Amino acid sequence: MKLVAQTRRALFPRLGRSSLVLRLVLLAAIWSVAMLVVAGFGLNELFRRAAVDRFEAGLEESIKGLAAETTVSDGQVYAPPMTDARAFRPFSGFYWEIAQLGPGQSVTPLVKSRSLWDSSLSPPAAVIAHARKQPGETVYFDTIDPLGKPLHAGAQLGSIPGRNSPVVFLAAENRESIDAATARFVVIIVGSLVILGAGLIAAVYLQVRVGLQPLFRLRREIAQVRKGKTDRLTDDYPAELSPLAGELNALVAHNQDVVERQRTHVGNLAHALKTPLSVMLTEARQQPGSLSDVVERQSEAMRAHVEHHLRRARAAARSQSLGERTDVTDVLDELARTLERIFQSKSVSIDWTTPEGLCFRGEKQDFQEMAGNIMENAGKWCRRNIRVSARELDPEWFSLTVDDDGPGLPAERRGEVLKRGARLDESAPGSGLGLAIVDELARAYGGGVTLEDSPLGGLRVVLRLPRAEV
Amino acid sequence: MRILLVEDDPDLSRQLKMALADAGYAVDHAADGEEGHFLGETEPYDAVILDLGLPKMDGVSVLERWRRENVATPVLILTARDNWSQKVAGFDAGADDYLTKPFHTEELLARLRALVRRSAGHAAPSLSCGGMRLDPRAARASVNGEPLRLTSLEYRLLHYMMMHQGRVISRTELVEHLYDQDFDRDSNTIEVFIGRVRKKIGPDRIETVRGLGYRIMALEGESEA
Repeated sequence: MKLVAQTRRALFPRLGRSSLVLRLVLLAAIWSVAMLVVAGFGLNELFRRAAVDRFEAGLEESIKGLAAETTVSDGQVYAPPMTDARAFRPFSGFYWEIAQLGPGQSVTPLVKSRSLWDSSLSPPAAVIAHARKQPGETVYFDTIDPLGKPLHAGAQLGSIPGRNSPVVFLAAENRESIDAATARFVVIIVGSLVILGAGLIAAVYLQVRVGLQPLFRLRREIAQVRKGKTDRLTDDYPAELSPLAGELNALVAHNQDVVERQRTHVGNLAHALKTPLSVMLTEARQQPGSLSDVVERQSEAMRAHVEHHLRRARAAARSQSLGERTDVTDVLDELARTLERIFQSKSVSIDWTTPEGLCFRGEKQDFQEMAGNIMENAGKWCRRNIRVSARELDPEWFSLTVDDDGPGLPAERRGEVLKRGARLDESAPGSGLGLAIVDELARAYGGGVTLEDSPLGGLRVVLRLPRAEV
Repeated sequence: MRILLVEDDPDLSRQLKMALADAGYAVDHAADGEEGHFLGETEPYDAVILDLGLPKMDGVSVLERWRRENVATPVLILTARDNWSQKVAGFDAGADDYLTKPFHTEELLARLRALVRRSAGHAAPSLSCGGMRLDPRAARASVNGEPLRLTSLEYRLLHYMMMHQGRVISRTELVEHLYDQDFDRDSNTIEVFIGRVRKKIGPDRIETVRGLGYRIMALEGESEA
């Protein structure tokens, strides 16, 4: 088995990885070309045999005529008058001869056609030997005439009444007609077989392309799932592919399920820890002392750990998720009305616009997290107004710009805000971990966050994220 | 001031009850969702502190049921889950404020004071137009009893139009009332807002009067709620 595989690899080094279409067409082509070559040789041989048989039948007829009509008178052999006029024209291409057997296998002509002039047919010794063994049977051989033209000839041992020793009757004819007919036939047969072969290969190619069409469609659909265009494959596949599509759908569903479950687990753990932390913090604050300081500090550290690992788990879960898409309009609408409630005492007004149907390629929770944190930060620092606008940058990316009319952030401090883990004092806009988390998340999606001056007077945060194709 | 505390963790409940009592509130405590819902529905509280993770009935469901039953008591939600979908769900259910655990008791008390002050403040009468109701006190609107989920600009637009029911209001007039003076906006954006509001209240309640502006009106055959 190993040897077979090695041989196969040596013979078709690229076949293993090349396309199915190529494999199928190549195999069909090798088989049909082989069959067509065999058929070509076979047909050619059959045609040649038929032509030679017909030719030899003519020779046989001439020899029989000679044998039947030849007479002997006074020891002199007389041949019958031949009807074929070519026998009288010198070197016409039709010849006959009656010869007597000499010593060994040699023969000497007794009578011969005028067309032979002064030469003779002189059959080879092997032919004479063969003819002697089978009297009455014609033995055929190839020779040349005095002009050097190829001849096909027949020789037959027979006797003439009135003569004791047997004689050899010979007839020959120019064989160029057979050769020409065969050559013509070869041209025709090769031409038609080449056309037939090309037609067969084209038909196989078409059949394979059409036959494998569902496979190509499956590939396109999988690509669409990955790009987030759709979240599952359609069901209308042929019986052989239908289970595969089903399995893939199950895999995608399972994947989303796992992501969701992990998230739930981590969320549950975080939830479970936060209430006890709250209790410990409150209790510690009520009984001031060195112990309560430690408890408060450690509770704070625990809270930070919980947050950190919650985010880590979510990032890990995200990298496995496929085919997710989130409508930007829905999320901005939810966030705007939620944040306006959160900052109700300031009566913050959030004015948002987005192109119809714009979708983020990723999880809804992640987009909520990013847009929500940026808008919450804007809400914290604005005087009254926040303006949010989403814009399509190109087919792959879109931007979300959040402006506020707050105090803004000096350019030299903007770098620190986005630095992971860096924590500015809480008196400046964009402080805390909010924007660093957003940047981290956006980077996981290949995007990012930039900070600029806002035309409203405050800070402008621009978030760049991948779009889902519609 | 009478406060309802719905919280299932015994230690946290004890601490909060003590802190609230120290701050001068009268506190009722419920340890599960059903009891909490019953108390909030039957007793006149000035504010409710509602935990979201509750046994028997979760906090969001309790809140949704109160709002359907027209219990307008201001509600502050306590939760350990601080992701945005939870916050959105909480506010959409009708919460007035939101605090994530762990928190400092001082912050809870400050938020609670602000909440009570806000709700006691302006006592504007509620507006109605057909099946639509708008309550300026809680800044909430509903259609046939179903609460509407509006952003503040959308709410302001609807509020202004309902205050001037039956009159055609031009775009310029709407722009002037929606935005601050130093805020220059294209009056075409009003169309976008009208579109969003129509999507939320139903397409036929706001009529476009060509060349003049918009008019809000009750649907035919709809009685005043």
